[in-house]
Amino acid sequence: MIQLKNVNKSFSTVKALDDVSLEINGGEFFGLLGPNGAGKSTTMSILIGYLAADSGNIFINGEEVKTDELNFRKEIGFVPQSIALYDELSAEENLKIFGSLYGLPKPELEEAMNSYLNAVGLYDRRKEEVRNYSGGMKRRLNLITALLHKPKVLLCDEPTVGVDPQSRNAIFDFLEKLNADGLTIVYTTHYMEEAERLCNRVAIIDSGKIIALATPDELLQMLPTSEHIYITKNDATVSNVNVFKSYGEIIDNNDRYELRLNKESKLSSFFGALENANVNVQNVTIQKPTLEELFLNLTGKRLRD
Amino acid sequence: MKTILQLVKKDYKLFLKDKVALSLTFIIPMVLIALFGAVFGGAGDFEKLSLGFVNQSSSKVAKTIETTLDTTKTFRLIKSYKNEKGETVLYDSNTIKTAVMSGKFSAAIVLPEDAFTDTSSSLKMKFYYDPKNDMESQVIQGVLQQTIMQSIPEVFTQSMQKKSESFLGKDTGKMFNSEMNKTISKYFKVDTSEIYGNMNKGTTKKSTDTTKSKKGGFNMFDNMLNLEKYQLVGKQVTNPMATRSVGGWAMMFLLFSLAGASRSLFEEKQSGVMIRLLSSPVTRTQILWSKYIYNMTVGIIQLVVLFLGGMFLFKIDIFSNFLNLMLLITASSIACTAFGMFLASFTKTSAQANGLGTLLILTMSAVGGSWFPVSMMPETIQFFSKFTITYWSIEGFLAVLWRGSGFMEILPFLGILLGIGIVVNIVSYFNFKRGNIFRN
Repeated sequence: MIQLKNVNKSFSTVKALDDVSLEINGGEFFGLLGPNGAGKSTTMSILIGYLAADSGNIFINGEEVKTDELNFRKEIGFVPQSIALYDELSAEENLKIFGSLYGLPKPELEEAMNSYLNAVGLYDRRKEEVRNYSGGMKRRLNLITALLHKPKVLLCDEPTVGVDPQSRNAIFDFLEKLNADGLTIVYTTHYMEEAERLCNRVAIIDSGKIIALATPDELLQMLPTSEHIYITKNDATVSNVNVFKSYGEIIDNNDRYELRLNKESKLSSFFGALENANVNVQNVTIQKPTLEELFLNLTGKRLRD
Repeated sequence: MKTILQLVKKDYKLFLKDKVALSLTFIIPMVLIALFGAVFGGAGDFEKLSLGFVNQSSSKVAKTIETTLDTTKTFRLIKSYKNEKGETVLYDSNTIKTAVMSGKFSAAIVLPEDAFTDTSSSLKMKFYYDPKNDMESQVIQGVLQQTIMQSIPEVFTQSMQKKSESFLGKDTGKMFNSEMNKTISKYFKVDTSEIYGNMNKGTTKKSTDTTKSKKGGFNMFDNMLNLEKYQLVGKQVTNPMATRSVGGWAMMFLLFSLAGASRSLFEEKQSGVMIRLLSSPVTRTQILWSKYIYNMTVGIIQLVVLFLGGMFLFKIDIFSNFLNLMLLITASSIACTAFGMFLASFTKTSAQANGLGTLLILTMSAVGGSWFPVSMMPETIQFFSKFTITYWSIEGFLAVLWRGSGFMEILPFLGILLGIGIVVNIVSYFNFKRGNIFRN
């Protein structure tokens, strides 16, 4: 569905994209995860034909993406990072303006408008000026503006920036439903929770380079430790610290130990050892590793640095 | 085209929603035009005013007047023109009238063959003028009258002396002159020896203080000048001052409006709308054309509204030559919109466009004649004024509203304004390609 082949882009001396190659299949919910300035928005700008790549090729649904080419644009819907709406106009007026650019017949446009306004809970306030909307409402309107022409690919550039958790969840639910209905979605974010929740596959990008590309589970397996085990300090656990050490590295964090299991150690075997040592399992908390850790592990820096 | 119209429609919708922009475009200029149109009237310093001149008289008096006007610091006498073959031809009483009517200069003096003869008791002179602006017209008439009045006494005293001597004989004539001097001295409080000395020299010391001369009683010379005034142009115009002011101020506000409207490109870029537009099946060129058409039509509407305001406020007749006025309004709007687009293409931010725009607009308005008639400005400024949109628009409006010029006569104005529009647009287009409006 989408192909990027050896794409390079520089802004004066800064290399924004460095030999980026990606292949995104139809129906995928594809995540592009990286910190600010990693090259996510540049990738999006090139995908929509707003910016021209210095070199490389981009194809969407078989059509080559170029800044002066219009055909492929009918196949894509783009949700910009900023709320790209006319504040002084109503939701309905905004939708009509942007929808009309795709040459939709009036009845079709009206139907799509009403359907999407209903879907995101804005139908009753469709005649209100956007300036009176909350941040979450604006974000929802920003999203459905890209859907009126029923695109095959939805490109979302950090579409939930500055949104409260409730609205964010509503947007996620809506996007998941769209994806379930067959829409291919490319989603850039620097929130690993978003990528983990939404995406079938994730590409991690840093300094213009794709440094990892797989499903979230596959990516997590790239970490040296599979799980984090936290053990509360008390008489029973302190006296058995040497038992824990045989399963991996122990880090003393004042009120608790953190056990980083060796690759060869199994969680079941560790719990067996706890039982033998009469240590209550309630003293033990297990946390799954995150993509945040993977990013830290791969680049030595945090996603939101 | 459908896409462009959709984009134009979108811009109109936004414009109509923006109350501040609406009031800035129509109401504030209208209020200021009303205000300035009512109070405008003072003249600043000026350099030589062009004055057409034809001397058909062979009298010495006429020659003296010509020499005086030639040497004055106020006027630059224009006595000849180049014909189609490039030959220099002296104006005559007909061609000088045509020159005034066509706006080559605002006024002309014709000294006819019988300007002053042996039997004349006054100097006959014809004054043709085009009061396309009251300020200039009054200055020309005032200075002209003052200059001629200062020259008349010397030529008349000389003439009177010769007449008395030929009529009475030399000795009796001298006695008569002496008695005349005493009488003049007594009643007009002027030194006898000075009058007598000047009579003998054939000159009279010129007064540099016209106020004193008038108070001292020299108004008797008024009868010596028979000045026939002919207003050649604009007799039917009800409010000449406002006719000029409305055109001038309307142009300035048009430039401000269109420079402001072009900033919407920056605003759309900043808000992310530009990238959304470009992610849809819309080209950069279509966006630029939509902006251009929108701004140009707003400019036309603004000028029409302002001229209608001028009609209601100052009784300016805009309908007797409406079609030509509309052509000029359209050409002016095309040129001004190109200027606005140029600003947006040349600058990098909205603030830059604002600052540079204000500077250029105020300069163009001042130099181009929005505030003062260009003819009253120094020659260097007059030269530069021809490089402004304002100048060509205002002169075009004057031609249409003042002289009632037809299509062929306003064609040069239309051509220049459209030429400016086309050239500036081409430059802007290439600037946009290199600029950052369409880039990250």
